Amino acid sequence: MAALNETIHQPVRLRIMAALVTLEPTNEVDFSYLRDLLQVTDGNLGAHLRKLEEAGYIAVNKLFVERKPRTFVSATPAGRKVFHEHVAALESILKSK
Amino acid sequence: MAKKSDPMNISPNEAEEALATIQAMRKKTLHSYANSGTYITLIVTGIVWLVGFLSTQFVPEISGYVWTVGSILGTILGTVLGFRMGKRVRSPSTAPTAKRIGLFWLLLVFYGIATIAVARPTDGKQATIFIVLFIMLGQLAMGLLFSFSSVWWALPITALALVGYFLLPSIFYLWMGVLGGGGMIVLALYIRSRW
Repeated sequence: MAALNETIHQPVRLRIMAALVTLEPTNEVDFSYLRDLLQVTDGNLGAHLRKLEEAGYIAVNKLFVERKPRTFVSATPAGRKVFHEHVAALESILKSK
Repeated sequence: MAKKSDPMNISPNEAEEALATIQAMRKKTLHSYANSGTYITLIVTGIVWLVGFLSTQFVPEISGYVWTVGSILGTILGTVLGFRMGKRVRSPSTAPTAKRIGLFWLLLVFYGIATIAVARPTDGKQATIFIVLFIMLGQLAMGLLFSFSSVWWALPITALALVGYFLLPSIFYLWMGVLGGGGMIVLALYIRSRW
């Protein structure tokens, strides 16, 4: 049976993963794009991204674009897998209602 | 390592809320991603059309210059803004796709010029409706190939252009400027407000 994941279940992290998993696996999004999409502060987003990165669910790619530092974020295969398992677990709880 | 909790700790109501949150976020992401290019295209094209068509209606003697300058500025602005917007989501497949899009529009311009040369429109309105139809055809193709949700707006603009051409020839340019150009700007602002 699919398991719930405590790291992902936190509301902001759940939305981060939902957004990243929705895009194609090869896509990575800019930090500011994600911040605007989620309507959270830089600090809040940064803290949650760190937790997800530590868990291995997202990859953070820091690089320079036109001499400016930019941060791009994407869901890892492991992150996609646990997210789908989390959704399946939620659905199974709902079915057992 | 991530901790896993007991599924029994989450009630069906909480699970339902979490699933609704996920669904809403996925929808918002897709919407934002699909419409980012549409917003830029609409706002730039809308402004060029509004200024260009109004000048053709009211000051036709200088409208050629207005359209030339507007089209050049619009193309540069649209390309720069589109490029900046595109950089927010990176993908290895972006560059080849951008080249195909560029080539498609270049060929469409060539076909448009060839059609106008063959058809030899008798007045400015006929030439204008040809150009509008080709641009909208290109937009429909882009939408159908790359983002289905951005297809729909080209159809009402085409319908508006045809209504203006056949039913309101005396105010055709004013019609196209206010409803065509103005409509695009309003649509762009509406799309932006829903992000």
